[in-house]
Amino acid sequence: MIAAGAAPLLQLRGIARTYGQGETAVQALRGVDLDVAAGDFVALTGPSGSGKSTLLHLCGLIDSPDRGELRLEGLETGALSVQELTLLRRQKLGFVFQGFNLVPVLTARENVEYPLLLAGVPPRQRADRTARMLERVGLRQQADRRPDQLSGGQRQRVAIARALVTGPRLVLADEPTANLDGATATQVIDLMHELGRDHCATFIVATHDARMTSRCDRVVALTDGVLS
Amino acid sequence: MKWLLFAVKNVLRNRRRSAVTVLIAAVGTAAILVGGGFAQFTYESLKEMAARESGHLVVAHLDHFDKDEEAPLQLGLAGHQTLRTRLMADPQVRAVLPRLQLSGLISNGDTSAIFVGSGVDAGGEFAVRGPFLSVTAGDVLDPRPGAGDVPEIMLGKDLARSLHAGPGSSLTLMATTTEGSLNAVDVRVKGIFSVGVPDIDKRIIMVHLGTAQRLLLTDKVSTLSVYLHETAATDAMRDRLRQALPDQAIRTWLDEAFFYQAVRQLYDRIFGLLGLVLVAMVLFAVSNTLGMAVLERTREIGTLRAMGTLPGQVVRNFALEGLVIGVAGALLGMLVAAATSLGLDAAGLQMPPPPGRSVGYPLHVDLPPVLFAVTAAVIVLSAVAAAWVVSRKAARTSIVEALAHV
Repeated sequence: MIAAGAAPLLQLRGIARTYGQGETAVQALRGVDLDVAAGDFVALTGPSGSGKSTLLHLCGLIDSPDRGELRLEGLETGALSVQELTLLRRQKLGFVFQGFNLVPVLTARENVEYPLLLAGVPPRQRADRTARMLERVGLRQQADRRPDQLSGGQRQRVAIARALVTGPRLVLADEPTANLDGATATQVIDLMHELGRDHCATFIVATHDARMTSRCDRVVALTDGVLS
Repeated sequence: MKWLLFAVKNVLRNRRRSAVTVLIAAVGTAAILVGGGFAQFTYESLKEMAARESGHLVVAHLDHFDKDEEAPLQLGLAGHQTLRTRLMADPQVRAVLPRLQLSGLISNGDTSAIFVGSGVDAGGEFAVRGPFLSVTAGDVLDPRPGAGDVPEIMLGKDLARSLHAGPGSSLTLMATTTEGSLNAVDVRVKGIFSVGVPDIDKRIIMVHLGTAQRLLLTDKVSTLSVYLHETAATDAMRDRLRQALPDQAIRTWLDEAFFYQAVRQLYDRIFGLLGLVLVAMVLFAVSNTLGMAVLERTREIGTLRAMGTLPGQVVRNFALEGLVIGVAGALLGMLVAAATSLGLDAAGLQMPPPPGRSVGYPLHVDLPPVLFAVTAAVIVLSAVAAAWVVSRKAARTSIVEALAHV
């Protein structure tokens, strides 16, 4: 929840996004207004095709709206260049994907280390922070294993560690429990909550999982591109 | 270093495909090196042959190279002994050899033939000619002119055959003197030689300078051939001599080396084209391999871009993969080329005689460090360029599209 007078971490106003042109055009989002406060754990729900992923992509600055304003920490992002958006993502955002999206040739340690390498963190600090994060997600023993040598739950924990290792302000997660069994999904949800709290990170999670929505501070439902 | 390690891991992702690409790059490198090394050896051999034949520099009468003589040695060098002494005083000069060009008739009493040849200083001439003069019978001229009772002569092997002459045979040389009269000198065959060109071997002779001067009734010579310690000093020496001897014409071995220049032009084109084809082959192979890698890793590229990897960094990562493939291929190719060179030397293979020549030459591949360096650089840069081209578009694809790629 946003305290009175405090600026939201993320502010969306009149956001619209259409795919395609002419008769085949699909309006994925139709004027979405949304404020997300720092520290919130927001679930984004809705049926398939409701615009959840589109909204998540826009919040993650990997797509641009056709209309409307999107502010991150008060900064209007519409006029930023590709380079500026990339650096903003690197500094302030983290991503967790449904399919884990780990780099298959890198070990768990190297996957977690990658964002720190991008950020230009010195080697010793990089090693310390990576080790701490792997310890935190319970994968210290598996640090030198490649993704194909890890279980689904372990892979998602590596992905969560990778998303949080740089200390981002906002983490976007797209169906993070969709590919996991019930027990593992619950562990991952617990882990995301714990790490979000520890790192003061804000989470926006697109999900169908009732276990996830029941644990979120706020649930935002989308229907046909409109918040309901 | 981390990025390079990342590139190595990505190259090893599809080992078989990468191995084939590295092999193609290696074959390209080896082929360029072997072809270039063979051309290099040919150039160096022809260069040495030309320099030994004419001298690094040729000093002559001012009009010797540009005008025709109406009488023998009309444009010859007078007082060549003084000039020779002056030239020999230069520390860069190894030898100065006078030569007198002459032509006329040679007869065994029954048969006559036209000859062209040289009067030479036998003491120095055969030392500088080295392996490029092949004596097939008898011996070279005695270094002491006038050692025997009859002047000595060496005949081209085909001329000797047409005159039925061999070492010890007596022949007569006839030529027009500098005064326009006919003169004759009896000579005895000392040796038979070949320069490797049948058309020349049919006409050529060599006699002592004194014999040639006595035949033409002159004390002039046609040219002075200047031999230096270092071929590389030729141009500087030419410039110095032109200043010091304004009344003489100075030419370098390269000006006189028509065969060398023709071969070099031909080989430069042949091996240049071959090199281009091989570089194109490497370009296509690396483009194909990394193009497939880019396609297969589109989703991964989207993930890395979402995490804050700049498009330029994505391209750089692929360029590093191209670098790894290029370096591996170039190193392997260099080893193959070195082994080929050693193998050819050990096998002692000979090339067939070039057109217009009667003797072959060793099939040898010269591999100077600069050839290794330039070839490796071209192959590595081609691989990097190919990687850069194929990854540029993918790095700029929409992240959402890339993440949705299946």
